[in-house]
Amino acid sequence: MDVIVCVRKVPDTAEADVMVEKSGKDIEKSRLTFTINEWDNYAVEEAIQMKEKYGGTVTVVTVGQKDVEDVLRRSLAMGADKAIRVDMEDPDDAYTLANILCAVIKNQKYDLVLFGAQSGDFNRGVTGAMVARMLGIPHATMVNGIEVLDGSIKASRELEGGLNEIYEIKLPALLTIQTGINEPRYVSISGIRKARQKPLEVLTPSDVGVGSIEPMIVLDKMYMPPPGKLAEFIAGSPEEAAAKLASILKGKGVL
Amino acid sequence: MAVFVFIEHREGKLMDISFESLSAAQKLNDTVVAVVAGENVSDLAEKVAKYADKVIVAEDPKIDTNNEAYTRVLNELIKKEKPKVVIMGHSSMGMDIAPALSVDLGLPIATDVVKINPEGGKIKVTRSIYNGKVLADYNLKNADTYIITIRAGEFSADDLKEKNGKIEIVDSLLKDEVADKKFVGYVQPVVGAVDITQADILVSVGRGIKDKENIPLAEELAKTMGGVLSCSRPIVDYGWLPKERQVGTSGKTVKPKLYLALGISGAFQHVAGMKGANMIVAVNKDPKAPIFSVAQYGIVDDILKVIPALTQKVKEIKG
Amino acid sequence: MMEVEEASFDKLYDVYACMQCGKCTGSCAVSLRTKLNIREMMRIAILGNNDDLKEHEEIWDCTTCGICTVRCPRDLKPSEVIVGLRSVLVEEGEVPSTIRDALESIGNNNNPWGRPKSKRADWMNDLGVEVKNLSAGDEAEYLLYIGCTASYDTRIQKISRAAVRVLTKLGVDFGVLGEEEPCCGSEARMMGESGLFEMLVEDNLNLFNDFGISKIITLSPHAYNAFKTDYKDYKKRLEEEGIEVPDLELDVVHYTQFLAEQIDEGRLTSDMMNEFNKTVVYHDPCYLGKRNNIFEPPRQILSIIPGINLVEFERREDRSLCCEGGGGKMWSEGTGTGERNAVIRARDAGALGAEVIAVACPFCMSTLEDGRSTAGYEESMEVKDIFEILDEVLK
Repeated sequence: MDVIVCVRKVPDTAEADVMVEKSGKDIEKSRLTFTINEWDNYAVEEAIQMKEKYGGTVTVVTVGQKDVEDVLRRSLAMGADKAIRVDMEDPDDAYTLANILCAVIKNQKYDLVLFGAQSGDFNRGVTGAMVARMLGIPHATMVNGIEVLDGSIKASRELEGGLNEIYEIKLPALLTIQTGINEPRYVSISGIRKARQKPLEVLTPSDVGVGSIEPMIVLDKMYMPPPGKLAEFIAGSPEEAAAKLASILKGKGVL
Repeated sequence: MAVFVFIEHREGKLMDISFESLSAAQKLNDTVVAVVAGENVSDLAEKVAKYADKVIVAEDPKIDTNNEAYTRVLNELIKKEKPKVVIMGHSSMGMDIAPALSVDLGLPIATDVVKINPEGGKIKVTRSIYNGKVLADYNLKNADTYIITIRAGEFSADDLKEKNGKIEIVDSLLKDEVADKKFVGYVQPVVGAVDITQADILVSVGRGIKDKENIPLAEELAKTMGGVLSCSRPIVDYGWLPKERQVGTSGKTVKPKLYLALGISGAFQHVAGMKGANMIVAVNKDPKAPIFSVAQYGIVDDILKVIPALTQKVKEIKG
Repeated sequence: MMEVEEASFDKLYDVYACMQCGKCTGSCAVSLRTKLNIREMMRIAILGNNDDLKEHEEIWDCTTCGICTVRCPRDLKPSEVIVGLRSVLVEEGEVPSTIRDALESIGNNNNPWGRPKSKRADWMNDLGVEVKNLSAGDEAEYLLYIGCTASYDTRIQKISRAAVRVLTKLGVDFGVLGEEEPCCGSEARMMGESGLFEMLVEDNLNLFNDFGISKIITLSPHAYNAFKTDYKDYKKRLEEEGIEVPDLELDVVHYTQFLAEQIDEGRLTSDMMNEFNKTVVYHDPCYLGKRNNIFEPPRQILSIIPGINLVEFERREDRSLCCEGGGGKMWSEGTGTGERNAVIRARDAGALGAEVIAVACPFCMSTLEDGRSTAGYEESMEVKDIFEILDEVLK
């Protein structure tokens, strides 16, 4: 089984204070730390577990400038065989990104392409399914379980409300991976050092053969949301407070 | 011009996101056309008609709840009817369908949208990015049709206006069965194998639960809410719940949609394991408990009084 | 099957000298409540390749308190052998997910708590005292090294704030590193991630050198131990690998040593203090006591506080019962069952009539605060760092 995994480097904004730049076109990044997108990490682990079980190769692909190479090195240290970086600025538009990735992948040998189900920066959740369409192969998004069959796979997709649905999909196919599908391994510093020997290919956009692509969606401006209140206290008797809370939860769509 | 709303349903029931999508569509002040596709969906179509100007019913057993089949049906309908906007949920189903439609028809797409702003013939959308810490407005490329998926909980179904539109049944649009992607079935995750890291709703108890005999109270609340019971470390130490239910740096790190902290003071090691939750609600007797500094909503009271009351209210809401 | 490299284990830890007497297991702080049997771990290290380490999850139960190393009749270091065995698992990526997250966070955020770097200085908000920031061009004789846990943990931040107020009152010329303060790496090393520790030693020696820092006062005995001992060893290792590191001799003290010196030199006296009329018992942290034989300075400080009634645990000094906070235990539950040592410790303190357990380590604070609540002393007993007591009594 030859597997290609598309990965992305994203800022960790779960807890950090995020500020918008004066231009309104980007966030201030100097004080943020950047890591592999959490969903992609599960996708890489899944690919490597398949290789350990069924043989084959794992290739990781990303688009970005040189500073994103550490997520590739990390994936190589996890057990990937080869890495490819398309040397250009990460496009804002998922459609443009999908075109570039499609152009890279179609020249590779593969049975399965894996993406993270979404990324922690823009949470678009579209790139994987778009690439599948461009490659002309079937896809399933939000996959939280894979069973390999002969010439096909069974994929479990996560639905809302704790239910899963199962699809049987012919190979080659593309899946986008949901967190929790596996338990990603730790990548030690010395492991990353050792993985420096593994091949990392750098391609220019012209190597890949994509010209200019009209983006489908263009950023107008970024801005800060209105400040959220901290701990709004719900007053009243236990019954009153419970009733208010239940209606808040209903309103927020969590019930 | 029309706004299409793709109606999501599962096992004979309409999903909440379908009503939210209708609500988003109504706000655009255009003709709202709901699309209901599948097998034996006429009952559903009638419920949807209440809030739409028109309902298109594509009844076809070949669809077989297969997302690829839905995509193809929608594709045909969009080509035929040329709606200005197609709205569906940024749900698991929407994620499977919407991007594929976008590529197949060459139409611009915006996903996980929290606000839709039509500007003349153009569409601008607002998205919430970087963990909800930044809002961003995007312009979609000029096109005849725009595809938009909406974030759950952002377009309230409470705002829906009654329309009582007509129902139009169309002939099957699916030429063939889908060959390379077959729907096999729904599966409930195995009972017993509780994985608190995968739960959307966690009802979590701490020392404030006081006695092992009170655990079933919290268990019932969790079940009523469709969630899972988790806890802080002392509860595991007391042997009241097994280790795999423990949230915290030495237990499990969780990111549910809702974390309901009951009688948990909020020690740093605990908070570090749950701070990624979308929404944190805390109930604690002590108004100074550190848990309130990470919670969006708080109730200062005895959890043993609040839990039964809340269970009752949630039951009422859920019917 | 994973292989422990036999030759290197003997070379590094002299394991062939082990006679399997079992004194290590007998003295172990957690052998009664976990599956950990150090003698068995020593045997794995001796035999080299006949055992699958992955099956021994109890290897993460060791708190690296070092009592086994104190007791070993052959002068071996069983607690270091555990660290070496852990490093075999780390190399393979076979670590519990909570340990993985802590290690990844050290690599990404420079702290094991998963908190952003940009919030490391939040403990200084509304401090009410001017503090020099050595990373912002200020100069001072000492760096007060706060450490990760005392920077982020909301309970333990209070110790950092007390420390700043006390040192300021005493007129000490000190500064902090604020957001730029790095992780000392002690826990990374003890969890077996020696590559990461080595990287931190290199980065931190350069950072200290760049900011003109050589004298350090630490809040944590773990940071003290790392700077004092491990940095020297790893500096040598880096030099052997041909990596250039600044020729920097760190002059490191734990704050209790520093304050005891102030007493000796007459700069900290009873006259400067209000009365503290409470019964206090001091809990020896392993990394100060067992690992570095520092028993007196904390006691000296407490003893000069007027009105204090100082009592002692039966298990104290190098026999002190480990609180189970070190060796990565903050990020791993392990196989432990039954009562935690911290709960036992709180009960022992209760039996002595103690109203306050005095600590000198952030991890001890964390575990004993929890143990006190579990043991039912929420109303009647407090856990206070020595800095916090001083902050309270200093006029």
